[in-house]
Amino acid sequence: MYAYIIRRLLMLIPVLFGVSVVIFFTLRIIPGDVAQTILGTDATEDALAQLRKDFGLDQPVMKQYFSWMGGVLVGDFGESMRTGRDVLPDILNRFKITFELAILSAIISWIIAIPLGVIAGIKRNSKTDFTVRIISLLGVSIPNFALATVLILVLALTFSYSPPVGYVGFFEDPIKNLQILILPAIVLGTAMAGAVMRMTRSSILEILRQDFVRTIRAKGAKERLVIFNHALRNAMIPILTIIGMQIGVLLGGTVIIEQIFSLPGLGQLVLTSINQRDFTVIQGAVLFIAFVFVMINLLVDLLYSYLDPRITYK
Amino acid sequence: MFNRKWFLATVMMLLVSLLLVACSNEESSSDVEQVLKIANDQEPAGLDPHKTPAHSSVRIYSQVYSGLVAFNENMEIVGDLASEWEQPDNQTYIFKLREGVTFHNGSEVTAEDVKYSFERIMAEETASHIASYFSNVESIEVLGEYEVQFNLSSPDATFLSNLTNASAAIVDQEVVEENGDLQQVAVGTGPFKFVEWVPDNRVSLVKNEDYFIDGQPKLDEVIYYTMKEESARLSAIRTGEVDMTTLTAQSASLIEGEEAIDIKSYQSLEYSYVGFNVNSEPLNNQKVRQALSLATNRESVADIVWNGDAVVSGPVAPSMGDWAIDVGSHELYQNDIEKAKSLLEEAGYPDGFEITITTASTYADMVDTAQVLQQQWEEIGVNADIKQIEWGEYIDTWSNTSADILIGRNGSGTDPDRALNYFFHTDGSANVWGFSDSEYDALVEQGVVTVDQAERQEIYNEAQNLLLDLSPNLFLVSPMKYVAVRDSVVDFTPYPHDGEDIVEVSKQ
Repeated sequence: MYAYIIRRLLMLIPVLFGVSVVIFFTLRIIPGDVAQTILGTDATEDALAQLRKDFGLDQPVMKQYFSWMGGVLVGDFGESMRTGRDVLPDILNRFKITFELAILSAIISWIIAIPLGVIAGIKRNSKTDFTVRIISLLGVSIPNFALATVLILVLALTFSYSPPVGYVGFFEDPIKNLQILILPAIVLGTAMAGAVMRMTRSSILEILRQDFVRTIRAKGAKERLVIFNHALRNAMIPILTIIGMQIGVLLGGTVIIEQIFSLPGLGQLVLTSINQRDFTVIQGAVLFIAFVFVMINLLVDLLYSYLDPRITYK
Repeated sequence: MFNRKWFLATVMMLLVSLLLVACSNEESSSDVEQVLKIANDQEPAGLDPHKTPAHSSVRIYSQVYSGLVAFNENMEIVGDLASEWEQPDNQTYIFKLREGVTFHNGSEVTAEDVKYSFERIMAEETASHIASYFSNVESIEVLGEYEVQFNLSSPDATFLSNLTNASAAIVDQEVVEENGDLQQVAVGTGPFKFVEWVPDNRVSLVKNEDYFIDGQPKLDEVIYYTMKEESARLSAIRTGEVDMTTLTAQSASLIEGEEAIDIKSYQSLEYSYVGFNVNSEPLNNQKVRQALSLATNRESVADIVWNGDAVVSGPVAPSMGDWAIDVGSHELYQNDIEKAKSLLEEAGYPDGFEITITTASTYADMVDTAQVLQQQWEEIGVNADIKQIEWGEYIDTWSNTSADILIGRNGSGTDPDRALNYFFHTDGSANVWGFSDSEYDALVEQGVVTVDQAERQEIYNEAQNLLLDLSPNLFLVSPMKYVAVRDSVVDFTPYPHDGEDIVEVSKQ
C-alpha cells in the first residue's frame, strides 16, 4: 500500500514536468505582451523594453524556462509581473477560498443527490423516479452562470437581498463567510447533483440486480439494511469516481462562478492573470492546479480499496 | 383628579415623543457611519502612481497622493501641493510649496521630494508610463526648502496640465527605497490614507486627519470592493450593500426609476474610433477612408450602441469645451451614401471590397460598434467580417497594427495636445496607424510651443479639420458615463476629468 502511494507520488514528477513545459511554451506562443498590457498606450518604447528586461523576457526562451523551473524546484514560484507579489502565497490564499467553496458545494450536492438517486433506483419507472430524472437533467443542463445570474436578480428584486460584499474568511466571521458562500455553493452543488444523481440511480439499479443482493434478501435481511449496507456501499465506486472528478474541477477554480459572486478564489486569479498576461502567476497556478488534480485522483483511488476491500494496491 | 391624570399623561407623552425626536435627529446627523462603500468592475493593477496607468489603480492612488497642481471643477488649473507658481519665461516654472504638509508617515514634504518624484518618473529604470509627458524637462533645481524650479528644453503649453495627471504624484523617497517600489504600499499627502489591499476583494482607505485642505475629506473611511460582474454590482446597489458603483448605459436605464438610487451621469473625455492601417490596401487611399466616413451614420451608432446617450465626436472630445470643433457640420459627417459611392468609384473600387473589422470581445460597446458599422458599410458595397479578440491580444494587435481596421476607444486627455499630437503626429507614441502628414505634423508641433491661448486654439482647429479630411481614423461618438449612488450619499458630483471625486462627499 505505502509502496503504491510512493509510486503514485513519483509519477507526479513526469506529469508536472509535462504540464510545466506545455503551459510555459504555450504562453510564449500566444499573442499579447505583458509590458504593453501593464503600461498601456502612453508608454514609450524605452519604458516597454525596460519592463521586459526587468521580467527577464529579453532572455532566450529556454533560459527563461530553466531559471523559472530552478526556482520552482526549491519552492520559489517567482513574483507576479503585474503586482510584484510572491506567487505561491497568493495561490495558497486563493486556494483556501476555492477549497471551502468546493467542499460546501460537494456537501450540498451529496445531500441532494445520493438520497434522491437511491430512491429513484429502488422505485424504477415510478413517478418519483421520473421526477428525480427530470430534476437531474435540469441540474446537468442549466448552465451555472445562467442559474447564478437569475438567482442574484431574483433575490435582489423580490426579496431585496444580496449577499454581503467583501469576502471574509471563515475564521474571521463565520456567519458572513457562509452568507457569502452559500449562493455560489448552491449553484455549483445543484449542477454537480444532477450528474451524481444519475450515476447513483444507475449504479444502484445495477447492483440490485446482482446475485448477492438476492441472497441477502433471501436470508430475510431488512430492505433498509440491503440498500444501505450492501447495495449503496457497492454502488459507491462509480459515484466516487464522478465526485472525485468534479471536486478536482472545482478546486481548479470555478472561474465564472467566482467572478459572478466576486469571490477572490483561484479561478479569478487565473482569469485576471491570463487577461493581463501575467506569465509567472499563470504558470504557477496551472502547475498548482495540476498537482491538486493528481492528488485528488490518488485519494479517490485509495478510497476505492476502503469501500471494496477486494481492491488492493501493491 | 381626572384632569390632573390627563395632564400628567399628556406631559409624559410629550416628553417621550420629544425624546424620540431627539434620538432620531441625532441618528440622522452625526451617528451615521461616514463609511463609503464603492463597487468597482476591475481589480487595481498595482498602487505605484508612476508605474500604473490602469484606471482601477488611478481611482485609488489619486485619493492617497497629491500633485503640484490640479484641476478644479471647471477644469481650470489650481494649486495642490504648490501654493503658487510663476513662469519667469516660457521654459521655466517655479513652484512654491505649501509649508508644513506631511506625508501619511509624518515626514514633511519639501522641494527635495518634488525633485525626487519627477526624477523617478523620468528615470529609464522606472519604466514609467508618463515619462514621455516630461521628456522636455531638462533639469529640476531645488531653490529652497519649499521652492523648486523646472527648466524645460522648449516652451510647452501642456506642461501644467500634464502636472495635473494623477500619475504625476509626489512620493516619499524613503518609502520607495524601503519597499523597492510602490506597488503594494501607498504613502502620500492626499485626503485619504491607504490601509490595506486584499487582492480581488477590497482596498480600504481612512481619512487623513492632517489633510492640508481644511474641512476635507468628510468621510472617515472608503472601501473599494472589486465586483467584476455587473449583475452583482447592480443587486448590491439595489439592496444598499454598497453606496456607489459605475454602470453601463443599459444597466443605468434598468435602475433609473428606483427610489433610493440616484443615477449621476456625465459626459466623458473618451470617444470611440475606427482605426485604419493606412499603409495597407485599400485603406492607404484617402478617398476610401473618406468614403467610409461618409457611409458611417454616427447618430445611429450613438442610438444603438450607447442607448442614445453619446454625442458625435471628432478627435477632441466635445467635453473639452472650446478646444473641440463642431464636427456635426463637417462634410464627411453628413452620411451621404451617394457621395461615398462616387468616392469609392474614383478610388478604383466601384463594387466595394471585402475587409475585416477587428474588435475587443472584452468590451460589449466595441463589438456592438463593429456590428453597426458592418451593416452601414454594406450600403456602399463594403463587406466586412468581424473578428473578436480578447484584451491581451487586442493590445498586441493595436501596438503592432496587425489589423486593417480596429475598433477602439481613446481618452482625449485634458489638453488637445494629447488627442492630436500623441495619437497622430508622425512620431506620436500612440500613432500606431502608420499615419504621417508633414503639414499636420507642423501644426501640432506649433500648437505645443504656442503659449497664447487664442492663437493655440486656432492652430488646433485647423489641425482637427485637416485630420478629419485625412481620416487616418474615423472618430465616432463620445459616450456618457454613469455612476449609481444611494440617496444616503451627499454632495457627489462627477466631472468629465474626474468621475469619482469624493473629497466633498458625506453620508446622511
